[in-house]
Amino acid sequence: MTTADIFIALPMMLLAVGALLALLIGAVTRDDRIVVIIGVATTLGSALWLMQTPPALIAPALGLSASGMSRLFGGFFALLAAGVLSLSAGYNRERGITGEEYTATLLFATFGMLALSSATNLLTLFLGLEAMSFGFYILVAIDLKRAASGETGLKYLLPGALSAAFLAFGIALIYCVSGTLSIHEAVQLTLTVGRPNPVALAGWGCLLAGIAFKLSLVPAHLWTPDVYQGAPAPVTAFLSGGSKGAAILLLLFLLPQAADATILRIPLWGFAVLSMLVGNLAALLQNRVRRLLAYSSIAQMGYVVIALISGTGGGHKAAAYYAIAYGVMSLAAFGAIAALERSGSGETLDDYRGAGFRHPFASGVLLLALFSLAGIPPTTGFTGKFLIFTAAIRSGEIALAVIGILLAAVSLFYYLRVAVTLYSKSSSIHAGARPNYPEYLVLTAASTAILLLGLFPNALIRLLSHLLP
Amino acid sequence: MNHMPLLTLLLLLPLAGALLMIPLSGRERLARRLALSIALLETLLACSAWFCRGNQLSSAAPKGFFLFTDSPWIDSVGIRYTLGMDGISLLLVILTALVTVIAMLVSWRSINERVSLHYLLLLAMESGIIGVFLSLDLFLFYLFWELMLIPMFFLIAIWGHGRNIYSAIKFFLYTLFGSLLMLLAIIGIYLIHGSQSGSYSFGLAALTGTQLSPAAGLWLYAAFLLAFAVKFPIVPLHTWLPDAHTDAPTAGSVILAGLLLKTGAYGLIRFGYPLFPEAARTLTPFVIVLAVAGIIYASWIAFAQKDMKRLVAYSSVGHMGFVAMGIAVWTPVALSGAVLQMVNHGLTTAALFAMVGMLDERTHTRQIEDYGGLWGKIPLFSSFFVLFAMASAGLPGLNNFVGEFLILAGSFKEVPAATILAFVGVILPLVYTVRLIQEVIFQEERRTLPMPDLTTRELLLLISLALCDIYIGMHPAPLLDILKAPVALLTGGAP
Repeated sequence: MTTADIFIALPMMLLAVGALLALLIGAVTRDDRIVVIIGVATTLGSALWLMQTPPALIAPALGLSASGMSRLFGGFFALLAAGVLSLSAGYNRERGITGEEYTATLLFATFGMLALSSATNLLTLFLGLEAMSFGFYILVAIDLKRAASGETGLKYLLPGALSAAFLAFGIALIYCVSGTLSIHEAVQLTLTVGRPNPVALAGWGCLLAGIAFKLSLVPAHLWTPDVYQGAPAPVTAFLSGGSKGAAILLLLFLLPQAADATILRIPLWGFAVLSMLVGNLAALLQNRVRRLLAYSSIAQMGYVVIALISGTGGGHKAAAYYAIAYGVMSLAAFGAIAALERSGSGETLDDYRGAGFRHPFASGVLLLALFSLAGIPPTTGFTGKFLIFTAAIRSGEIALAVIGILLAAVSLFYYLRVAVTLYSKSSSIHAGARPNYPEYLVLTAASTAILLLGLFPNALIRLLSHLLP
Repeated sequence: MNHMPLLTLLLLLPLAGALLMIPLSGRERLARRLALSIALLETLLACSAWFCRGNQLSSAAPKGFFLFTDSPWIDSVGIRYTLGMDGISLLLVILTALVTVIAMLVSWRSINERVSLHYLLLLAMESGIIGVFLSLDLFLFYLFWELMLIPMFFLIAIWGHGRNIYSAIKFFLYTLFGSLLMLLAIIGIYLIHGSQSGSYSFGLAALTGTQLSPAAGLWLYAAFLLAFAVKFPIVPLHTWLPDAHTDAPTAGSVILAGLLLKTGAYGLIRFGYPLFPEAARTLTPFVIVLAVAGIIYASWIAFAQKDMKRLVAYSSVGHMGFVAMGIAVWTPVALSGAVLQMVNHGLTTAALFAMVGMLDERTHTRQIEDYGGLWGKIPLFSSFFVLFAMASAGLPGLNNFVGEFLILAGSFKEVPAATILAFVGVILPLVYTVRLIQEVIFQEERRTLPMPDLTTRELLLLISLALCDIYIGMHPAPLLDILKAPVALLTGGAP
């Protein structure tokens, strides 16, 4: 192992050590606080490490690299994990989710994300994605005291396993055609100019089907509402913000390498339109906030797919921007929901009635997140949608842009419905617990990020144009 | 001379004030006074801009502007922070500051819950509207264009009455639906200009003169027109307005009618026509037909209203039809008339909504049939009511007359038939206004209602509006002078 290998692998090793340490601590003390502190410390540590690693290192033996993208997204996922862990402390105590395995599993999932974001070959990519998913299979079902928990876990596990099989088979077929696992060459050789090899096409079909599940694109979206509803709120935040971001990143590693990706346009087009249509229309009918946000997330991923289709017009940049934006929005939205639920709020829209006056802070954050999801300026959601539509029009996808923007107008209705509910009159004056300090900290950071990325996106856009030319 | 601080200050002062309101929840008196002082300070600032109109700017600034500021913002996609003030913006910014003060005074007593939030929203909205009137970068403009909707949405949803949630959502959906298509059109013209010139920019000055194929120009302009027409509102896109007005709190109605409706007209003047002159000319007959139809239709509907607020709301639709016509004709006289009429309508309608709100506050009813005989009981109120109602109906010597006259005079040569029809639209408001005055003020009392006369606060507010109305009605020359240069530049003549 050379120094370069260690340099690159260190953030992952740090997470793995942190996870093991968390498990071992459990033998000494039952105080979950120490475990959480270890978790937050290791995630922040690896985020810091990623930011200061010298760029463009490659560790061929490990199939890892410290490219700009991997450092940006690895750091982002690690920070997201730190935020989620801090939120979980109070939430889990309230819900009676005890034990060090929560923190350890979350760290393992983050480990998977980091491995994925620094992968240079298809195998590492797959292993990273599955390590992450494996963590989530456990996390979504970790609330053992609730009967719905097991059902949630199973609903995520079964389609997840199917998608893993599709992904593995797709990668195998692509390997079969190209004879290499290196991402760049494998993609170049399979998505060629002119008519691609049918076996390679079958491989790409399987790959897209697998990713569609991870991104919950219609028609592979059926697990989403139940899992968003059933998982603990901080886990949902991580699932929504982190795992989807990782899946977008995976596509961003693959698609820009293609010599000619037009062959994928038709399936992606279908995914985009169906996801926006089904997600936005189904969200209109929801009465539970989390299910509503689940359908909204399906729709949001449709917009990301628009960006991926419009690669020639700068869409890859837009997709990367939106992945980060959506991560921040998810953290804010589900973090706020976690804070509201911890203080005793139910999950239907009726329970949220008047929450804006009982819990001004958490509701304010939720409101901001909703406006951002709806794409209203000056939030990051607006800037993201703006970049996506600009890319779409520039690459000639005008029909897609018009469909997208009309459905965005539809989506306003359900976001506003929640917003209004938060600030409508209610008879309940039960205030419940105030937010705790970690919640204040994380939610303030997330809201600040929503506004800063919306008002001053210049630095991030520049960085992304540099990384994804 | 660098005048950047004044425009930026105008934009940010209300926003800073809004942020100050956050820690003041529960301290109602302080919140009220602080908000009012900030709004008054903003009015002073806005008026101080009046004295900058002699400024000579460097050649970098677009012609006709006497205050201008420009700095890079999101330069990776060509978005700049460009603000500019010419005569049109100046009048509308002063109007904005004034109407916001009025809205605050009107809600002084009637808002008693969540006071600081209420003032926060009013101040945030003021910032958004001023931003719309000052932006010279399309992206920046769009940002403020949407930003000003959110406070209004919450004003209606939280403090409104009746079916306020329904109305708030209807208002938001209508206006945003149009705006989203405009966003696509903004991106469209940005890309077309970028691919032609090689430099991507959202600046109005850069985008003006982009070569567009007729079809592209028409589509893009149609998207802009849709967004502006909803705000205007031009019949048949007006249906959100009566609902929003009826269910909004008084302060909301005052700002909605006084200011938000003007943003649509302003957008058409500042962006719609200059960016797409050919498409605008193609669609002119269409807009004129809709405008005239709106004038007559809205006045017709206003006859049938039993609720005073709804009546004033429909009269707004009619008056804005005149503005639409003045803009569509696009001659110097008609355009100055249209801008002046925007100011006039803002002042008069704000006053009428404020007065209906005062009645509602006292008696908790807005039905015309519940009133009568106010002249004998509250003479002060009644005389102001008659004054503003007559101003709204276009009585010579009061402000609306000047605007309507200029619009009609400027249009007659271009579109005689439409002007004659619109002239009917001048008479119709007189009829329903006289009916309103007769039934509410002069007819004998129908129900005994508790009715104290105006308080000092209300009196002050009405006097200030009345002075503006009479001044503009008697001596509109200074305002028209200010409008001369920008209007001449817009319509293509020499200033």
